[in-house]
Amino acid sequence: MLKVLIPTIMLFPTIWLASPKWLWTTTTAHSLLIASISLMWLKWTSEAGWTSSNMYLATDPLSTPLLVLTCWLLPLMILASQNHISPEPISRQRSYITLLASLQTFLIMAFGATEIIMFYIMFEATLIPTLIIITRWGNQTERLNAGTYFLFYTLAGSLPLLVALLLLQQSTGTLSMLVLQYSQPLQLNSWGHMIWWAGCLIAFLVKMPLYGVHLWLPKAHVEAPVAGSMVLAAVLLKLGGYGMMRMMVMLDPLSKELAYPFIILALWGIIMTGLICLRQTDLKSLIAYSSVSHMGLVTGGIVIQTPWGFSGAIILMIAHGLVSSALFCLANTAYERTHSRTMM
Amino acid sequence: MATYKEASLATRPKTLDPAEYFNLSPDYRRAEEKRAALRAQLKRQYLQQLNNPHRKELIEDPALTRWTYARTNNNYFRPTAKTSLIGGLFGVLPLFVLYVVFKTDRDKREAKIKAGTYERPYKLST
Repeated sequence: MLKVLIPTIMLFPTIWLASPKWLWTTTTAHSLLIASISLMWLKWTSEAGWTSSNMYLATDPLSTPLLVLTCWLLPLMILASQNHISPEPISRQRSYITLLASLQTFLIMAFGATEIIMFYIMFEATLIPTLIIITRWGNQTERLNAGTYFLFYTLAGSLPLLVALLLLQQSTGTLSMLVLQYSQPLQLNSWGHMIWWAGCLIAFLVKMPLYGVHLWLPKAHVEAPVAGSMVLAAVLLKLGGYGMMRMMVMLDPLSKELAYPFIILALWGIIMTGLICLRQTDLKSLIAYSSVSHMGLVTGGIVIQTPWGFSGAIILMIAHGLVSSALFCLANTAYERTHSRTMM
Repeated sequence: MATYKEASLATRPKTLDPAEYFNLSPDYRRAEEKRAALRAQLKRQYLQQLNNPHRKELIEDPALTRWTYARTNNNYFRPTAKTSLIGGLFGVLPLFVLYVVFKTDRDKREAKIKAGTYERPYKLST
């Protein structure tokens, strides 16, 4: 794990010390190197599930594909942003790449975390560079509105998660995923327990996003510059899915009844956002709504808690990560040439 | 025009019907000529910009800009009785309907599994 984390942290000196002529080349090459090293995680060496571990970071077959996706995305993002950032002064270009690299670091630590609190802190920490990217480098005046929606929807969803995690720590004494998977199923039979159950999941459902709370996503995706849209669509949505998969392990007997509203919202959301896509004139808005639709299917797959559901959710998350960021990249190439996102 | 014969199972489109063509009122013809003049003006403006050798910027169509703005920013939606009914019918009612459908279906399947009578339709290995 450190084999990848240390080079990612070393991206920061690379960005700030590279000469202006070679900035983009060196950062792209460095991040491609990190991406190639990250492929070594795909080798499944231990039957126990968790590999490449130290006390705080480990990978297992659930987080490894997402980690590799994150590492592969950084060179693609840097490649895609090179054109529209080049008119700006050098220090602003360096700040932009620094934000992308810091997002990368937080995401690697989030997906590799073994303590759920560390995952939560990294989950929140990814909001900050994304907010800065959207509000500072977006193209339209609506980007302020978009940044506000993005920040407050996600924050409001994740504060109950903090409370829920602290309660879990109180009752079980540990928050390490390595330990919690073997703990006894918790007695969940009162209204308080139901609220705790909901608190554990709402943050991830808002992030996914689930159909009822998806309002931040079209705004944020449309107003973000291309690298922001790519990282949002490809990885940040998957943080929600990954978190849900980790938390569902402990939430069990209640989930049989309480999951119905979310299954229904997810499935109806697929249909409704698919239909909304048909009425869009803005290309990025169409891709954003299609992201909501795909993630609705992922939510459905996770919430029904079957092994096939989980496998399907992981596969769809990886596929959507690659495809959606590619779509945003293509929309950006069209936008760079015509300066309009209308599809006419 | 005189020799057009439509395909055996198709109908003749209205624009190729000689009756329609010769039946137009003078008002309609004048309006059509005015529209054609406007179109020709717009086309001339576009072609001038397109073929200007000193042009460096993109050609933008202000009508398209206005149209996109109207589609995306101004919300022409107003909550009336009809729109609330449609919203409730498509946005709220399906949630409850789906809840009832899913719950009964899954409970039936659960009862069958508990009684041991459920036959697995696929041979899945997890």
